Amino acid sequence: MVTFTIDNRTIQAPDGSNLLDVARRNGIAIPGLCYHHKLTPTGACRLCLVKVEGMNGLIASCTVKVAEGMVVTAFDPELEETRRFLLNYLLYEHNDSYDGTYSDEMRELIFRYGLDKPENRYLKPNWEKINFKKDDSSPVLTYDPSKCIKCFRCIKACDEVQGKNVLSFTERGINSFIIAGTGIWGGSECDGCGECIQLCPTGAIVEKPNRDIINLERIEKKIITTCPYCGVGCQIELLVQDGRIVRSNGVEGVSPNDGRLCIKGRFGYEFVHSPDRLTKPLIKHNGLFEEVTWDEAFDLIAKKFTEIKNKYGPNALAGYASAKCTNEDNYLFQKFVRTAFGTNNIDYCTRLCHASTVTAMLKAIGDGAGSNPIEDFETTDCLFVIGNNIIETHPITATYVKRGAAKGQKIIVVDPKWTPLVPYATVWLQPKLGTDVALLNGLVNIIIKNGWINRKFIEERVEGGMEAFNRLEKLTATYSSAYASEITGVQASKLEMAARLFATSPTSMIATGMGMSQQVTGTHNVFCLINMMLITGQVGREKCGINPPRGQNNVQGATDVGCSPLNFPGYIPVKDDDNRRRVAEVWGVPYESLSPEPGLTTVEIMQAAYEGRIKGIFIMGENPMISDPNLNHTEEALKRMEFVVVQDIFQTETTRFADVILPASTWAEKEGTYVNSDRRVLRGRKAVECPGEARVDWKIIHELAGRMGKPMPEYRNESEIFDELARVTPILAGISYARLEQGSIQWPCPDKDHPGTQTLYLDRFNTPTGRGKLFPVEYIPQNEKADADYPLILNSGRLLYHYHTATMSRRTKVLRDFIDESFVLIHPGDAKSYGLTHGARVRIESRRGELETIVRISDDVREGEVFMPWHFTESQVNRLTRDELDPYSRIAPFKLSAVRITKI
Amino acid sequence: MISEKRIILRNSGVINPQSIEEYIDAGGYKSLSSAFASTPEKVVEEVMASGLRGRGGAGFPTGIKKQAAADRDTGKISYVVCNADEGEPGTFKDRIIMETNPHLLIEGMIIAGYSISAKLGYIYIRGEYYDSVRRLQHAIHQAYARGYLGNDILGSGFSFDLEIKPGAGSYLCGEELTLLESLEGKRGYPRIKPPFPTEKGFWDKPTLVNNVETLANLPGIIGHGSSWFRSSGTEKTPGTKLFSVCGDVKKPGCYETDAGVILNDLINDLAGGTSNGKPWKAVLLGGAAGTFVPYSFSGLSLCYERLKEQGATLGSGAVIVIGNERKLIPLMQSILMFFRHESCGKCVPCRVGTTYIHERSLEIPAAGNEARISILEEIVNHARQMAKSSLCPLGQSPILPLGTLQIHFTEMIATE
Ligand SMILES: Cc1cc2nc3c(=O)[nH]c(=O)nc-3n(C[C@H](O)[C@H](O)[C@H](O)COP(=O)(O)O)c2cc1C
Ligand code: SF4
Ligand code: SF4
Ligand code: SF4
Ligand code: FES
Repeated sequence: MVTFTIDNRTIQAPDGSNLLDVARRNGIAIPGLCYHHKLTPTGACRLCLVKVEGMNGLIASCTVKVAEGMVVTAFDPELEETRRFLLNYLLYEHNDSYDGTYSDEMRELIFRYGLDKPENRYLKPNWEKINFKKDDSSPVLTYDPSKCIKCFRCIKACDEVQGKNVLSFTERGINSFIIAGTGIWGGSECDGCGECIQLCPTGAIVEKPNRDIINLERIEKKIITTCPYCGVGCQIELLVQDGRIVRSNGVEGVSPNDGRLCIKGRFGYEFVHSPDRLTKPLIKHNGLFEEVTWDEAFDLIAKKFTEIKNKYGPNALAGYASAKCTNEDNYLFQKFVRTAFGTNNIDYCTRLCHASTVTAMLKAIGDGAGSNPIEDFETTDCLFVIGNNIIETHPITATYVKRGAAKGQKIIVVDPKWTPLVPYATVWLQPKLGTDVALLNGLVNIIIKNGWINRKFIEERVEGGMEAFNRLEKLTATYSSAYASEITGVQASKLEMAARLFATSPTSMIATGMGMSQQVTGTHNVFCLINMMLITGQVGREKCGINPPRGQNNVQGATDVGCSPLNFPGYIPVKDDDNRRRVAEVWGVPYESLSPEPGLTTVEIMQAAYEGRIKGIFIMGENPMISDPNLNHTEEALKRMEFVVVQDIFQTETTRFADVILPASTWAEKEGTYVNSDRRVLRGRKAVECPGEARVDWKIIHELAGRMGKPMPEYRNESEIFDELARVTPILAGISYARLEQGSIQWPCPDKDHPGTQTLYLDRFNTPTGRGKLFPVEYIPQNEKADADYPLILNSGRLLYHYHTATMSRRTKVLRDFIDESFVLIHPGDAKSYGLTHGARVRIESRRGELETIVRISDDVREGEVFMPWHFTESQVNRLTRDELDPYSRIAPFKLSAVRITKI
Repeated sequence: MISEKRIILRNSGVINPQSIEEYIDAGGYKSLSSAFASTPEKVVEEVMASGLRGRGGAGFPTGIKKQAAADRDTGKISYVVCNADEGEPGTFKDRIIMETNPHLLIEGMIIAGYSISAKLGYIYIRGEYYDSVRRLQHAIHQAYARGYLGNDILGSGFSFDLEIKPGAGSYLCGEELTLLESLEGKRGYPRIKPPFPTEKGFWDKPTLVNNVETLANLPGIIGHGSSWFRSSGTEKTPGTKLFSVCGDVKKPGCYETDAGVILNDLINDLAGGTSNGKPWKAVLLGGAAGTFVPYSFSGLSLCYERLKEQGATLGSGAVIVIGNERKLIPLMQSILMFFRHESCGKCVPCRVGTTYIHERSLEIPAAGNEARISILEEIVNHARQMAKSSLCPLGQSPILPLGTLQIHFTEMIATE
């Protein structure tokens, strides 16, 4: 702390803080347009000039650090005159028209200095002579150089904040203006995140959507909530006008995103007001859906489910929860399935993404969630990113990574397909699909051979100590770098480099993704990763550990609150008698009524339905008809069931098979909480009303529980549901809505005074012994192989611009503008062999099904491998995939199917 | 009648600039051995004692800069960068050194590198100086081949590499921090100062940035000692100075004399007098970012201390002679056009100001006498505000020619 004065006011601030920042925080409103606290100082606008005793001339306060004893003059006639002079200069080159659609910092200053009155301006505007041209080519924004004051904020927003570096100036002096890439926005690498829009102080860059509707003076409310898309959990501020969302801004200064958003978070709200929204309950009559009243729908559902339960037993019923619904929705949903249905047949799409990761992590280290706060992605020395297209699927986590890279972080990318992270990587390993165990065993082998293990850590924190280690050493002994290289196709030197960087960096962290988990060997893959982490001691400290960035905004929360066939809320196994007793008491149900028998998982539920063992299902906000593997099989399973209820916001591929469709609410229409990838419990808040008769999800479930004779308490609001949840969930026990008003909290948070937990495993692992466990596993070649009939291996994944089954993202115009069409990536060599040209329409067939799509020739993939995004309903990739499951986690191998391609 | 005093240019036009042998035969690279025989600290002390001031324009004492850049205790990386951008209008002295005696600069750079324990040096050359680039490149090859560059130079244990980077036609890139930005491959925008290059320069490492002529003085200082160096020039501006004399003179050219030479001696004795033999109207000293002086200054001694007293500058040593028949208004307009064109546009006062005052200057010819005076006054006021609030020295420069025009030539402009 240093003490200094501004205009004779004594001020204290941490040594080295930015003078302008400190002044403003202390209510001294020094003007300034080019400075933003998230960016490095630029010193361009000169409005923040001050005098500092002992320094020559006028000093831009945004470029000065405070120091002990500094004597600063921020306001005197000379300084104010200089500022007025500079503002006059800006008005000379600046088009100061204003249409009320954006907040304009420059305009505020113009008013403050009285320059709104023409008689106070002393230069005639000259900007029209400069002949600037608007750039209207981007789907999301418009740039008007005549409004640009050349403050550099957009350039730095794109570069320093988002790590994309798309923008720069061209031309010189007064003629300079911003360009994207080497020309126009629409032809550049801009991905539409809008950070530049958010930080532009003058409205030179403005949003396109709602431009003709929005009027800042007519905004009714601004609601801070959580983004409905991926598992980063970005905090957004929704602007509501005439009952509609008209804008979404990133919220500055809070975790996890500090104002940053990706294109989905900023622009992806359009679906909320889509005319396609379901607004009335529908019942199928003779193959056609008819609108009915809620009463009719509830009666039918209660009657049918009760009939099935009575006739076939509770285990003939099942529920799919939703990674998009709130904790409160999901908590009540699993409670409903467990009490009203009386079964543990409850699961959701997590089974399809990270079940293997969670299974392996629970066994080996005791928690199924990421061990580190998001900030560590920037500050760790070495990041090992495997099977994880982090830039597209976790864009804001990736901004931390890119910022780390800019400061010299070592990044190891392991991916069979090129990802946008590769250019930032120190080394990229491109293994053949399905050879991860061999690759990781190879790395372990290299680490051991070079003596890079952490013996002390193994002895103190690994179960079985060096003895257990010796077993791993023995098993991996055959995986020499040469052998691993032969299986994986990765050069031995790259394996050595990756092993060295990971093992010997002061701190190393793992980010694992669907590329690892969605395989028949998914659990084994993650075991291998954990082995490598444990023997090098790259866990148990800050900035070390393993993180599976989660796909959906509440995929973490839904499992945390018990939407699992194996676990009650808080990961307590259904078999745990004491817990069942405790929960039964809170729920006010007889302990015997809670089944101790583990239920079926997502894909197993469909298999059971196919075999006639499951007769009825309640699907809340899930779309298995795109997301499940082997869709032909899923379709048949849905058809064979006696009664299917789907609660959703839209008609989906799945609702076609429903007997009753219930219109539910989007995230913007309800209060609640979500848990993001770094275990942060975040508030969601209501911004708008449900359309038509659509209802909030938990209220539907609540009502139905009553009608099935298992009424739940009358919750007055979501906060009361959360309180009940906290009572049965030890990791959330200390959290309440009141606390969340002060900011998000990372679980575990066992009591009211606990601050939450940033990093897991600092002292112990969450296993029964408190130690981590090694699981040495052998590499097993895949069953599914390329052969003469199906010569190519298909990989699948996601794109930045779409999300999951695209029911939300494809209802947003700007996202469609970026991409709205399925494709298959194929290596130039293969394209040549199969006579395929770029843009050609092709049929892709596997042993299970077929689809049509369009060829994109690209060396992003290896020869012999092809890649498709799975978002597009017209080319359903999961018609091709298998439902041969990982035996431990029951996850399906979306990442590997043998296919053939023929031109149509 | 004075004559040239050639120290830096001693071998120019005498030896073949493409031959390292001729340079060595003329005593070249001997100072390097002297430097190696002494310690880096001693070399810095010698330069301090010499009183050498930077020849790039600002005249900052070179020894002090070296002291600041030398970061030997920490063993950190540091760099030497030669500023050979020579962008100041009317200045063409660095080019003469590089084209007629490139090894002198190379030797100077190695000595500078040794003195601050840098291992790598860059020469940032004005992009249009094709011959300078070619000759220096050739000389660098020769120096490597002879072991004056590279690893373990002359068995001293000191290693030094040297690279050339051509600029891309921006005046501002001659400003040292902008130059470093450009050298890093970025757009030529100035950095915020402080930190100075000696603290955070190239890739944020301590960096010594010196002008060609400054560095070319080092072999002499180290070879012959600081007192020898001080035997030329004045007390506060020791050594010789290269003057680029151009404009309305009979023999424009680059002349080396004692610093402190009398202005008219330089013009008359060395540059052959004005073209028409009549007393000149004005001299622009130091280029566009320099100062106008009237004929009453003809007896002025061209050294930093005297010029400063008179509100003039030496700058880069440009001496632009304006004959009695030439008009000042077009000259002023072209200087303002130059600043408008070269303003990078990063900061508001310079970006807008250079445009505005240039536009205003275009209105002078059509204005009446009184109006001319008031326009000139307005322009000067703007330039003063710009000087106060601009981010980098470019925006602080227009006041120099404009202010001196106003002081000495208002009358003339009003009636021209
Ligand atoms: C706009 C501008 C242009 C400059 N151009 C040059 C140049 O071309 N060559 C040069 O040596 N110094 C130039 N300088 C001065 C440098 O910033 C710096 O002072 C010089 O390189 C220091 O070297 P010295 O100490 O050896 O003089 C320029 C300065 C400014 C403000
Ligand atoms: S929208 Fe995002 S990616 Fe595009 S230019 Fe702006 S900051 Fe960069
Ligand atoms: S577009 Fe906006 S943020 Fe970018 S330089 Fe211009 S005014 Fe600043
Ligand atoms: S003073 Fe001129 S050249 Fe310097 S930063 Fe400002 S605009 Fe650029
Ligand atoms: S805010 Fe300091 S110069 Fe712009």
